Amino acid sequence: MTTEAALIAVHDVTKTYAMEGAPVHALRGVSIDIHAGEFVAVVGPSGSGKSTFMHILGCLDRPTSGRYLLDGKDVSHLSDDELSAIRNRRIGFVFQGFNLLARTSALENVELPLLYAHEHRVSPAARRQRAMSALTAVGLENRAEHHPNQLSGGQQQRVAIARALLNDPAILLADEPTGNLDSRTSIEVMDIFQRLKEERGITIVLITHEPQVAEYGSRIIRFKDGRVVADHPNASRRAAAEELAAVAAGSPEET
Amino acid sequence: MFNRSTLAIAVRALRRNRLQTSLTIVGMTIGVAAVLAMIAIGTGAEAAIEDQIRAAGMNLIVVTAGNYKVKATDDFGGGAVEPSAALRHDSHSEVAQDSSVAQGSSVVQGLSVAQGFSPAFTTLKGRATAVIDFVLPTLHAHPEDDPMEKHDHPTARQRLGDSEAGLGSAATLTSADADAIRGIRGVQYVAEGLHQNVHVKAGDRRWFTRLHGADVRLPLIRRAWTFRGGRFFNAGEQSRAEQVMVLGSVAAQRVFGDENPVGRDVAIWNQSFRVVGVVTTTSWMVAPAPGDDQFDAVYIPFSTVHRLLNLAKLNDITITAASTGEVSRIMGDVTKLLRSRHQIGDDKPDDFTVTTQARQALAKGGMRPDVARAVVGNVAGLEKVTLEQLGKTLDRATRTMTALLAGIAAVSLLVGGIGIMNIMLLSVTERTREIGIRRAVGARARDVRAQFVAEAVALSVTGGVIGVVAGLVAAQGLSRYLQWSTTISASAVVLSVGVAAAVGIFFGWYPAKQAAGLDPIQSLRYE
Repeated sequence: MTTEAALIAVHDVTKTYAMEGAPVHALRGVSIDIHAGEFVAVVGPSGSGKSTFMHILGCLDRPTSGRYLLDGKDVSHLSDDELSAIRNRRIGFVFQGFNLLARTSALENVELPLLYAHEHRVSPAARRQRAMSALTAVGLENRAEHHPNQLSGGQQQRVAIARALLNDPAILLADEPTGNLDSRTSIEVMDIFQRLKEERGITIVLITHEPQVAEYGSRIIRFKDGRVVADHPNASRRAAAEELAAVAAGSPEET
Repeated sequence: MFNRSTLAIAVRALRRNRLQTSLTIVGMTIGVAAVLAMIAIGTGAEAAIEDQIRAAGMNLIVVTAGNYKVKATDDFGGGAVEPSAALRHDSHSEVAQDSSVAQGSSVVQGLSVAQGFSPAFTTLKGRATAVIDFVLPTLHAHPEDDPMEKHDHPTARQRLGDSEAGLGSAATLTSADADAIRGIRGVQYVAEGLHQNVHVKAGDRRWFTRLHGADVRLPLIRRAWTFRGGRFFNAGEQSRAEQVMVLGSVAAQRVFGDENPVGRDVAIWNQSFRVVGVVTTTSWMVAPAPGDDQFDAVYIPFSTVHRLLNLAKLNDITITAASTGEVSRIMGDVTKLLRSRHQIGDDKPDDFTVTTQARQALAKGGMRPDVARAVVGNVAGLEKVTLEQLGKTLDRATRTMTALLAGIAAVSLLVGGIGIMNIMLLSVTERTREIGIRRAVGARARDVRAQFVAEAVALSVTGGVIGVVAGLVAAQGLSRYLQWSTTISASAVVLSVGVAAAVGIFFGWYPAKQAAGLDPIQSLRYE
């Protein structure tokens, strides 16, 4: 497990927020390598630094110290524009609150990353077409013109996933993606994640505070007080597809 | 900074909040409409004053045949004429007399016929023309061609019926000169003029009045003219030299009383003319009265005068400058042009006189005597003072007024701009989460800024365009219902929309900067 080969190589990263009164140490020296195609579940209580860690991985934030190599390139001190470009092309985000634009159709929401793909511009027609195929991939082709408030939570999260995947990112960062979903739709979302990992080799970093959701990952990292306290492959990995099949068999009236 | 997707994003964002968007646009609309309407009123007033100056003849230039300043010295002695010129003049006189015999007889013949043309008249006239045509090639000159000469040969007196034949009766100006003057830059209208005194006869009523052989463009020059009935003669009638006549209101009253003269026949030189119109004035400064030059007068095409009296020359050419400030320059150009056309050597005086008509228009244009005295009597060198300074002073005054009005209106534009800023700042707060989402999917800080500026500009320009329409309608309404003169130039429209866009950029910049400066993580968490 060398640093060079890893897709994500975080080395001794700290993050300190200068709050009024005492400074808050969100990360106190974290070193993690994540390889392409891994499905990493990050767990820990709130305030453990897992969200801060995800923001740094997602280039939304810069570490106070330490190095973050993304694909071998140090991104810890890039400019805002460069970080934006990396977010646009290399990283997809899925959030707990879905974070779709209100009063905007599913299709237009999915298109969003392409509007900011400055390196390779896409015509409006091609944009629509790619957004449409992304929606089709998550099974929402007939909801394209619906606005978020006309969609269920699971559907909204699938729109968000379609948006995250539009620019074919290498990494999918999911921050409590199932937090607002019932167990059934949570399994559906996990199924999508697992298939993305298996079929497209996308590296997934899933942040969650629910241990049973973390069980879908291939590797589990545990945070506490800004430090990594555990990091091990997940031996008892849950398979969302099988569970779905079982649920479908158990209660066929549910769709 | 802006590209099509930025604009598309901005428009989408604006459409999501229709009520706010439209209220903001209304604010902007009012501002722009007010500015445009005020500019329209201001420039309208400017144009109205310019119009008044023109109506008073401030932009009038008159070229008169002959040059009395030169001729005056030898009016009694006559010694100034060189021997060779005198010799040439003699030969002219002979021919002139020769042709005048033919012509004189034709007039006599015409007089002997009771009414209208007789075949004999036309034949004789044709013969006279033939004589001239025959004589001309050998002489290379028309009998009227002597530049310095007043028409003191017998025919001139007979023809012009004017024993005081002085300035203007020298035969140096032609229609070709007038056409050449039409080509000078800054010249608005040019009208040929021939002037006679005639007896106008209709039935048993007669009136001795002025006859103006005029050009169709004359009503354009006499801006205060209005037709109480009928119309001026048209270009077709002029080119065919038809016997049509326009009566001045005083002449019409004298000849026809209270009857409508339009369509009736009147006679001059025992020729029948059909009356096509009666002209009077709208100017408050001018009161038509017997003896004035414009309304105690009759107008017929100058070509008709040429045909009937077998003339080829003009008494004067009246010119208007498009702008009063250019009168002096155009006077110079006209002088230069005519000197070269008349092939006058550098050491020779002009054979024509160029004057601005300010004094003459004010004095002779039928202006009320008291007004005329006040204006003409108190100003020495009226031409110069009025044209150069009065015009500029009035220009300055109206420009100040326009600026004042536009300044007041600009305040409403400012309020509109602050409205945009307000709505945009509110929008930044409301849409913090949206900004976070956009940043997360790869929008750069400057993309966010561009979007917000684009939204502000879209608001202000939309408001601006609607405001232009509203301003046009308002100006139209003011013109129609309050009789205010308004002028909307293309540049005023462009300026208004430009200012609207500038307001959008100016007042959208700060909110946009706020939006761009938001921390992505904070904005994603924002509820």
